Amino acid sequence: MNSAYKKEIRYTLIFSALLLICGHLGLLFVAFPGLQNHMIFGFPSQYIIPITFGWLVLMVVVGFQAKLTNALDDEIEELNAGLSENVE
Amino acid sequence: MEHEKWVLEDPMLGMIFVGASFVFFYLIGWYSQRAAKSSTDYWTAGRSIGSITNGLGMASSYMSLATFMGVTALILKLKVPFVYMWIQFALSIPLITLWYGTPLRRMGAFTPAHFVRERYGVHTSYVTVVFMILIMVMYALGQMIGVAKVFEMLFGINYNLALICGGALIVGYVTIGGMYGTSYNAAFQMILMGVAFIIPLGAIMKAMGGTGWYFPPLLYSDMVPAMLDAVPDFFDMKYGFKWYLSLIPCFTLGAMGLPHLGMRVYTSSNLKSARGAMVWFTFFCGIVFCSTYTMGFSGVYFQATSGSAIAPTDFDKITLILNSVYNPAWVLAFVIAGAIAAGLSTISANLMAIGAMIAQDIIATIKPNLSDKTMKVIGYLAIAGGGATSILIALNPPDFLVVSILWAFGLAGVTVAPLVMLGVWWKPANRYGATIACLVSGLTYIVVAPYFFPSIVVGGGLEAKVGMTGSLLCVPLCFFLLTTVSMITNKIPALMNRFDYQKDHVLIDKIHGWSDSSEERYNSNTAGIIVAAVSLFFCIYAVLPGGW
Repeated sequence: MNSAYKKEIRYTLIFSALLLICGHLGLLFVAFPGLQNHMIFGFPSQYIIPITFGWLVLMVVVGFQAKLTNALDDEIEELNAGLSENVE
Repeated sequence: MEHEKWVLEDPMLGMIFVGASFVFFYLIGWYSQRAAKSSTDYWTAGRSIGSITNGLGMASSYMSLATFMGVTALILKLKVPFVYMWIQFALSIPLITLWYGTPLRRMGAFTPAHFVRERYGVHTSYVTVVFMILIMVMYALGQMIGVAKVFEMLFGINYNLALICGGALIVGYVTIGGMYGTSYNAAFQMILMGVAFIIPLGAIMKAMGGTGWYFPPLLYSDMVPAMLDAVPDFFDMKYGFKWYLSLIPCFTLGAMGLPHLGMRVYTSSNLKSARGAMVWFTFFCGIVFCSTYTMGFSGVYFQATSGSAIAPTDFDKITLILNSVYNPAWVLAFVIAGAIAAGLSTISANLMAIGAMIAQDIIATIKPNLSDKTMKVIGYLAIAGGGATSILIALNPPDFLVVSILWAFGLAGVTVAPLVMLGVWWKPANRYGATIACLVSGLTYIVVAPYFFPSIVVGGGLEAKVGMTGSLLCVPLCFFLLTTVSMITNKIPALMNRFDYQKDHVLIDKIHGWSDSSEERYNSNTAGIIVAAVSLFFCIYAVLPGGW
């Protein structure tokens, strides 16, 4: 099995986990109530951290996702080109 | 305390702004329509939309009338837990793009149902199309009713007249413009609604004494101490672990199953552009979502500190009320135009999805040899027919269709998302597993909702009404059935010989970009067993009492 395929699976699982973390930090605060009510930037932690992760951190993650998956597409295309040359 | 009923004092300016915006929508629709040379162009905008326009369009399809009305009402009612419910909606397009958007774009799909037809066969696709159309009608209906109510308030006419006039105007420009018009209009509507929401919000914050008025999405911490004095429980998490966990199957996976969101990815000029659009989507979505929380925060703050109690029936008008209190009349008129634009962008996307499914997934399947010209006419008729049906239903909507739009998200998560996700990533998934999983879990979701058989309900309260309890059970149920039934039927040659499953395997390699086909890829039975085991665990966890 080639490395591009393994990379594709790895990226999908890792980015799915990262995206879910960014959008569902409420779970963390309800599972560990001790994390609540610390003031950060003037807001309670359980409010501002999920909001910041759900927008700004998410943008960073999505930016990396776009960059890496674009590079992976190029890698698969190169493999395909190599395959068709071998066939010829 | 006596509640003050809020009414619009001077509707003339609102009419002018709304009228002018409709003129723009029609011009954009008419101008864009000229670029559609074939029926494929009509449904996919010639697969030519650039990343910024598409990012705006994606965000716009998501910013429904709820952004201006429903969300702030629910923040007023539920306070912070509703913010958590909303935050995760920004994951939709990145997850769709990651899991199936780009493969389906590569395949040249019109809708997710198109993929289901190619992957699982015609009969399975009919089952999913029925669910998808039901979901889209529920979604469009909620928006249509909302827009009619704004028209009713604005023009002082009765609801039925407002619905027919407003509905006809909307259906007209969507039908004329097709996906080209819808995409460019959606981009314009996103800018309009963003400006109409955020800038007046800054003025409201300034009038309330907030020092961060120049960046409303995040800079209102100076109002927090006063909020904590007035409403000490505003930041309380209130609910248990299950409540927050169920947001994943109900709304995150639910949004992944919504056909009108997936269709935005298929209009991209290429895969890199689709991924670029995803980044822009996150930016536009985030800035408006964060501003919505600020508006909700300001609404609660206003109600707690101003001494003027808002009637519960007016909770959904809090954005308009704050603007009427703190901003000049012309700003309020501009905000109303923005709210209508938000409703229209969602209805447009819903109607495009309904039309594409009727024309491409039903009619083109039954009559595959129709000419492109005929298909284009069918396209116009499908959208106009879908729109007219939505208007007719909205005149006297049956109770079961006006359940929360959020409940429709759960239905999409139960019936569509697992089929498409596993269909793209797991070769052993087959048509028997898909059909049984979609039907059984979809019907179970309907049965355990509080609307139909009140004696058979999983959980209760708001979480049952919006489909969270049902999704926590039925989404894993769908994954469990799809994986187990597929693995069992794959061992029965009499069933597998009825169709060419090798063709399905080739399709999967192809949509991932591979020019060759290999049985080593996307073909792990271990993965299927893990998915089945985890799904079964969550099915059991969902029906255990407590935790909400």
